Amino acid sequence: MKRNVGCNMLDHAVSRRNFMLGATTAAGFGGLLPATWAKDAEKNQKQILQVYLQGGVSQLESWDPKPGTELGGPFRSIPTSVPGIHISELLPHTAKMMHLLSLVRSINLETDDHSQGRLFMEKGRNTPFVGAAARNTGVYPFLGAVAAKYLDSRDTALPGYIHISTRGIIDDTAGFLEPQYAQFKLEGVKAPENLDLPKNISKKLYMARNDLRSRLDQQFAARRRKSYIDALGSSFNQASKLMDRKGLFEAEQDPKDLERYGTHDFARNCILGRTLLERGVTCVKVTHHGYDSHAENFNFHLEQLGEFDKTFATLLGDLEDRGMLEHTLVMIYSEFGRTPKINHRYGRDHWGSAWSIALGGCGIQTGGVIGKTNDKGTEVTDREVHGGHLFHTYLKAVGIDPAQNHDVPGRVIPIGDPAVAPVEELLA
Amino acid sequence: MNKIYLLISACLLLLPLASETVTAVELHQQIDALLAQSDPQFAEQQADPSSDSSFLRRIYLDLLGRIPTAAEVQVFQQQTGIQKRTQTIDRLLERPEHARHMQHVFDVTLMERLPTKHVKIEQWQDYLYRSFRENISWQQLTWDILSTTGAQPESRGPARFLLDREVNPELVTRAIGRVFLGRDLQCAQCHDHPVIDDYAQRHYYGLVSFFSRAYLFNDPKNKQSSIGEKAEGTTKFTSVFTNEEATTFPRILDLPAITDPPVDKEPYLAKPDKNTRGIPKYSRLDQLPEAITRADNIAYRQNIANRLWYLMMGRGLVEPLDMFHEGNAPTHPKLLNLIADDLHQHEYDMRYLIKQLALTKAYQRSSLAKAPEEGGAPRYTAAQMKPLSAEQLAWSTMQATGLLETTQQATIESIANSKKDETSPEVTDWNSFEIHLEATVNKKLQEHVTAFVTAFSRIDQPGQFNATANQALFLGNAPLISTWLKPKGNNLTARLIAEPDTDKLAKELYLCVLSRLPTPEETELVARFLGDFPERTTTIQELVRALLCSAEFRFNH
Repeated sequence: MKRNVGCNMLDHAVSRRNFMLGATTAAGFGGLLPATWAKDAEKNQKQILQVYLQGGVSQLESWDPKPGTELGGPFRSIPTSVPGIHISELLPHTAKMMHLLSLVRSINLETDDHSQGRLFMEKGRNTPFVGAAARNTGVYPFLGAVAAKYLDSRDTALPGYIHISTRGIIDDTAGFLEPQYAQFKLEGVKAPENLDLPKNISKKLYMARNDLRSRLDQQFAARRRKSYIDALGSSFNQASKLMDRKGLFEAEQDPKDLERYGTHDFARNCILGRTLLERGVTCVKVTHHGYDSHAENFNFHLEQLGEFDKTFATLLGDLEDRGMLEHTLVMIYSEFGRTPKINHRYGRDHWGSAWSIALGGCGIQTGGVIGKTNDKGTEVTDREVHGGHLFHTYLKAVGIDPAQNHDVPGRVIPIGDPAVAPVEELLA
Repeated sequence: MNKIYLLISACLLLLPLASETVTAVELHQQIDALLAQSDPQFAEQQADPSSDSSFLRRIYLDLLGRIPTAAEVQVFQQQTGIQKRTQTIDRLLERPEHARHMQHVFDVTLMERLPTKHVKIEQWQDYLYRSFRENISWQQLTWDILSTTGAQPESRGPARFLLDREVNPELVTRAIGRVFLGRDLQCAQCHDHPVIDDYAQRHYYGLVSFFSRAYLFNDPKNKQSSIGEKAEGTTKFTSVFTNEEATTFPRILDLPAITDPPVDKEPYLAKPDKNTRGIPKYSRLDQLPEAITRADNIAYRQNIANRLWYLMMGRGLVEPLDMFHEGNAPTHPKLLNLIADDLHQHEYDMRYLIKQLALTKAYQRSSLAKAPEEGGAPRYTAAQMKPLSAEQLAWSTMQATGLLETTQQATIESIANSKKDETSPEVTDWNSFEIHLEATVNKKLQEHVTAFVTAFSRIDQPGQFNATANQALFLGNAPLISTWLKPKGNNLTARLIAEPDTDKLAKELYLCVLSRLPTPEETELVARFLGDFPERTTTIQELVRALLCSAEFRFNH
């Protein structure tokens, strides 16, 4: 019951704004803005929640612990809500939710490069073009952009792919897809740039300006390429909606939510992430920064996963309670794992060749473990997969056929790498 | 009898002459003839010629990268004479702003907004700007870019193409394939292209092979990166499909391979080590510019012809621009060959081709179509709508709001003042004055252009227009644009506020922002907008903003 307070508060805010909108419409300036807010996510709309542990979470301190072994580190493993599955003791809350998740312990990306690993995990294709050079060179889209394009048929009030992060790597996430599917990036719970009206401009005057612009465009569109002018118009409409939803980004978060999730950035970002999913955003990505533990790996993970564990478990519980897991794929992933070998600074280094992720929600058979590493965790011994297989799996889980071609004029590009297939055992 | 005989023979003599004059018709006329021939409904469906004001706006955007001033529109409208459009084209092509615009266009074409790494951005910009001011040929530009190592100070600028791609064989191969050959060979890296029959792995590795001995050399003395090369190394490749292994010498597509000469006992002019940039006696890299620009490499001329056509006409004859292959035939094959061959005969004089394209009826037609095109291949019965680039949008917004003219004015004054002290001796004639003025204003306003480039960094593909909410928020709300809309001195907002007559106000507004006069209905709209709000300053600011956010402003049409 109490869990819904945040949502109710938002609904309240929305209906109050609706009322105000109604008033201005009556005054004759509301032509462009929708009379009603977009409906909340429909039950059959498939969605994705990505929780990205940036820098590379250690599989040994999370999903694939090897306690008591030479390279296993100091932490124990604990039983979970699924008999037989043990995870690191750093994840006690998540362990209780294990029945909502499955693990893949056999990922080999064959790269130890941050950017290459990240792009492989996001695009499902191993690209040689790494780092800044990958920008603007017509590369493959990220999962979120693919989802936004093919899952998002409704006229959502918000962009289809939103990334909440506190740092600024700018990726060309839409690749060759249209940029309205590109990631809309939020810096934490802070509102996007230029969301405020110009100084001294009243809402009424702004709406009149927008109305005039739209009229001029209608006039101009006659006998010209309508799709271009529509695209421009919809960008202004989306901007207006974002401005109106400023409260969503700026409103004080519910103290009861903060109590349950925590008050740190990741907790706040997860609360916002939940709200955005409830609002019907197709793909929400929340990044938790700081897993690149070349030194003091164990202290780092103790601290980082301490933040992650309770917050993530609370979020997962909320999604479950609200019936959202039925239509929302949840993925917890990194760009790679960490070396079993512990370096002289008590750190673990980049390790793309034997690591793990967790998946749950829509389309996923939960409570399982796919693949295995050897006793020391240095090698995959069973069911090796890479970013390509996983990409297929995510897509299939939300009902997109990865064997289909992209809807891009002039090019024939399969959505998933045609050389690989989904991990069928993971699919419900 | 004799007379008749003479007459007949004279006619016979004249016949070959007459047919020669047919082939000697200017390129722009041949283009229009071919377009009309290629389409039985062309004559019936072609749009009217553009009005003077829309022609002027279009040609200013295409040649100078900004909209014309209100005065430029009015002067042009008052001019008479059938040559006025041609004269305007000629005049604009000579302006320093044209070179600046081409600098922006080719910066994006060649570097695709990659961040700078090894070469200072000013050196690169300066290289491009000077090259276009001197009307460098595409062939020369290709040589400059592909033959430089960046080791000499004067070659730093053109070296950016290779250096800022780290001389990485994969990155430079892909870029060269796309930018100079119109072929994105990336998918032929690991195997022959799965769906495009004529992109083979050997094509990809033939290009890689030019670079397989090159490396990025970091000079420990001056911390400067340049291109070093080794004297040995072969390029091997294996298909992941067939496991067949092959080696290749450098080659361009299916042109003959360039075999290595016998290796010298001492293969180096400078042997590579930590402190020395390797210079081999025989350089594979040195073979590249010649190989790529040679006359039998038809891909080279077709690519640039297609790119310049796209620049002016708004669509490519082949789209995507980097997808030339059998299965993706040009929309107008004869036309592409005609332009490509003509450009080759004119020694890759880009200014010549741009002028010819601007002179076509196709270019000068109205964008109001009789049969609007949605999707499908462009037919050029009407002018295409072209989204403004980030730079065009920045300069046009600064032009419309009056910032550009204010800055020019201030610069002229400071030049005039400094002349008294004889501190700028280089400004001795109109030409050098114009160059100096443009360069100074460009420098002063550069940061604003950068702000637009950041907001509109995404490069639109031909035939696509993409708009994001972030861009709309920038155009609609950004404080940067708000400061330009504050009434100040003689800027647009100040002039409009001072104008009591609404008709005149609407005229000034439309001329400055949309480069045309308003219709009576539009004047009425303006009047109503002003009447609805009591606070004149903010109302006028928002009125200007509505026009700056409009599709009519956002596109070149």
